[in-house]
Amino acid sequence: MIERRDVFQAIADPTRRAIINMLAEKPLNVNSIAESFAVSRQAISLHIKILEECHLLQIRKQGRERYCEAKLNQLNEVSVWVAQYRQHWENKLDNLETYLEQLKKQRNGKQKK
Amino acid sequence: MENKKNNTADRELIITRTLNAPVALVWEVWTQPEHIANWWGPNGFSTTIQVMDLQAGGKWDLVMHGPDGKDYDNSSLFKEIIPFKKLVYEHVSNPHFTATILFEEQGEQTKISWHMLFDSAEQFIGVVKAYKADKGLEQNIEKLELYLQQKKIVKS
Repeated sequence: MIERRDVFQAIADPTRRAIINMLAEKPLNVNSIAESFAVSRQAISLHIKILEECHLLQIRKQGRERYCEAKLNQLNEVSVWVAQYRQHWENKLDNLETYLEQLKKQRNGKQKK
Repeated sequence: MENKKNNTADRELIITRTLNAPVALVWEVWTQPEHIANWWGPNGFSTTIQVMDLQAGGKWDLVMHGPDGKDYDNSSLFKEIIPFKKLVYEHVSNPHFTATILFEEQGEQTKISWHMLFDSAEQFIGVVKAYKADKGLEQNIEKLELYLQQKKIVKS
């Protein structure tokens, strides 16, 4: 049974967002990530697993250590969707603009008559 | 160490526009039901304003009638009204957010700034994702582009 993972699920959690922020600066091993948080190491491992399944990080083995690296290109998907949502509100302003033009024409017309 | 900053950048949307109309007209068109019904809804929608009680604590209910025949109820509460300057409302129905609209007089023009603040980054992401799932909106954007092109032709 494979659960569908996507980038939205990855960033829907504050701890996972914090992990991505940390890894965006430099790759870290699992222990040093876990040390930065007050939650258990198991909990952090689970977050890392989800991030990996969402393709936001990749794990590389170096000797005994497991290093996590961020793969940030996936995040573009989110910003594209935010841009679409923003457009919805921009449309409202476009409509307002058009309506103001109409109204100004109407009223100017009345004054001239 | 949680990287949770004290700012709101991950749960807000700000859009601004300079409108070619004096602030009195922009305010009128924003605050009077008979006007707002003419521009509020997405293209293809019509809007019925049921209540618009323009004062702090006042109710603002509207229904957007979709091109598919569906009605979408929207409930808000006005939080702050400063005539010709500022308007704050809380969208009480889904999705929950607080909108602050600032009007800035610039001679015969008005700069409008529209700020929407969602409860949390999680909720904002949910809204964005739900929006993406709505295919009708993509069509609306296409329609709008077409409409704007026509508008430009008329103007030139």
